[in-house]
Amino acid sequence: MAQTHELKFENPSFAKRIKGMLGVDFYRLFHTPMYYIFLAIAAIIPAMIVSMTGADGGQTMYTNVWNIVAADSPRYIVHNIGEYANMNMVFIFGGIMVSIFIGHDYRSGYVKQLFTTHAKKRDYMISKSLVSAFSMACMCVTYLIGGVVGGMISGLSFEVNISSLLIAILGKVVMSLGWASLYTFLNVIFRRYFGISVAASFFIGTGIPIIGAAAIIGNNSLLNVFLYGSSVYACLSSNIVTMLVCAVVSVAWTVIYNLLGSLVLSRCDVY
Amino acid sequence: MNAIEIRGLSKSFRGLYAVDNLNMTVPVGAIYGFIGENGSGKSTTEKLICGHLVPDKGSIKLFDRPYTDAGVRVRVGALIENTGCFPNSSVWDNLMMQAINLGLSDRAGEIDRVLRIVRMEDNAKLKFKKCSLGMKQRIGIAMALLGDPALLILDEPINGLDADGMRMMREILVDITQQYGCTVLISSHILGELEKIATHYGIIRQGKMIQELSAKDLEGRAKVFTSLKTQNMQGAFGFLRQKFPDVRAEDGYIRIYDVDDTEGIVGLLMQNNFPVREIKKNKIGLEEYYIELMSKKEA
Ligand SMILES: Nc1ncnc2c1ncn2[C@@H]1O[C@H](COP(=O)(O)OP(=O)(O)OP(=O)(O)O)[C@@H](O)[C@H]1O
Ligand SMILES: [Mg+2]
Repeated sequence: MAQTHELKFENPSFAKRIKGMLGVDFYRLFHTPMYYIFLAIAAIIPAMIVSMTGADGGQTMYTNVWNIVAADSPRYIVHNIGEYANMNMVFIFGGIMVSIFIGHDYRSGYVKQLFTTHAKKRDYMISKSLVSAFSMACMCVTYLIGGVVGGMISGLSFEVNISSLLIAILGKVVMSLGWASLYTFLNVIFRRYFGISVAASFFIGTGIPIIGAAAIIGNNSLLNVFLYGSSVYACLSSNIVTMLVCAVVSVAWTVIYNLLGSLVLSRCDVY
Repeated sequence: MNAIEIRGLSKSFRGLYAVDNLNMTVPVGAIYGFIGENGSGKSTTEKLICGHLVPDKGSIKLFDRPYTDAGVRVRVGALIENTGCFPNSSVWDNLMMQAINLGLSDRAGEIDRVLRIVRMEDNAKLKFKKCSLGMKQRIGIAMALLGDPALLILDEPINGLDADGMRMMREILVDITQQYGCTVLISSHILGELEKIATHYGIIRQGKMIQELSAKDLEGRAKVFTSLKTQNMQGAFGFLRQKFPDVRAEDGYIRIYDVDDTEGIVGLLMQNNFPVREIKKNKIGLEEYYIELMSKKEA
């Protein structure tokens, strides 16, 4: 490589920096088995749930294949497991995956390499959020495939309002960005404690705090301001407003968590 | 212009200062040997320079720019404490990720280049966790050399290297500073090795820089002495002490400080019936200088 003898320092643009950081994260994502394992998990779990509950001969959790993807209406309070177990589970798997992915950065010490060079803390947050969102979006796709195949095997009904279904799926995919930012933030906060960050991501990913809140304040649409709330809101009775709510909530939390995460990283020691 | 200019830098951990109002000046093109006892704050200073830690106060400038400046940061290579690599990824993949991060254009060529420099080209496919201690160290050095670093920060890089590795390290550092005008900050406890290449020294103690000097300064300050052995060591020792002001017995030799007239001494001893077996002109090295400085400060 051509070496320069003189001391010239060119400031890399934001685009160049983020391209480098995204490049590193995607390279690692595609070169680690973990990503593919999680894609497989996201497909196998819905398929298993559907086929196993159907196989009982007795009560099935779902009457319709698409309930595996989303509930009929936004129910924050859980009455039965069928209302709960839908594509939102991707966000639980995603939380664990993101924790492992980011945890590796700190446990291996590779962050030293990243932050010694031009990478800003903000670049790190943005890149991790985007890569994590990408992997969760991919999991949504494999989940869909797994769920539909499982539903076909169990012979469930496929009847649905197509536009609502599409909005529900798209809404959840859009929510991936917000969730990814949340997990990135959690993992930055607990960067020294791998176990805690996995546990925290899992706990919040299950939506238990919001389900708990719903138990107190009822099925209130105010809960849509939270990530779990609008993820539930993306259901089989969705319309264009749902899409808008998901987009706004997801982007808003993305901005908030990225700002907070960058602040924490730049104010605190990296390790 | 200085490659590193640190003024009044402090960093505390739970109220205890690891780096305490430290000043440091590293000229461009220098190989700056950073020495101090365990826990004196060398690694902490280096982590501060690399932006891994947030300072309590003080300023750090690299090439007259704030140390956070992306333009200067992209040309800093570092190996601090241990090589931070993903254990389950191959050596090649680890280097590739850093090459991508740096935005290099000919990434494969650049990785080949640095692997050849550290003589690890045959181990590129090996998983990082399967590498030996010295191999890991070499990979860390390769990682730091990626791109076109203007400043290298190496924290005890010769730890765990074999004889060939140490020689390689010396060659790399001399080459990179002389050919490419790179500046190197290197900390090490192996003073004998450091002395062979360093152009400047900084001596740190309890987080404070107690002395900065160039290799030339050290040469000027370093005492000369003559060391010798005779048949009757005790008699010769007593005799020489009457003749010269600073005579010491060390490591089985008699040392006469500030005197390097070996012929004169041989003649004198012969005349007085102390046949000389062995005699050598010496200069005290970095190690002795450092130990003496430390004991002075302690007193
Ligand atoms: N993360 C940390 N938390 C608390 N204390 C720390 C931390 N890092 C360093 N210290 C303390 O700061 C002091 C300086 O440590 P540092 O690692 O800089 O020493 P050093 O000069 O590199 O020593 P060595 O020669 O052993 O590598 C030590 O007393 C150490 O205990
Ligand atoms: Mg150290």
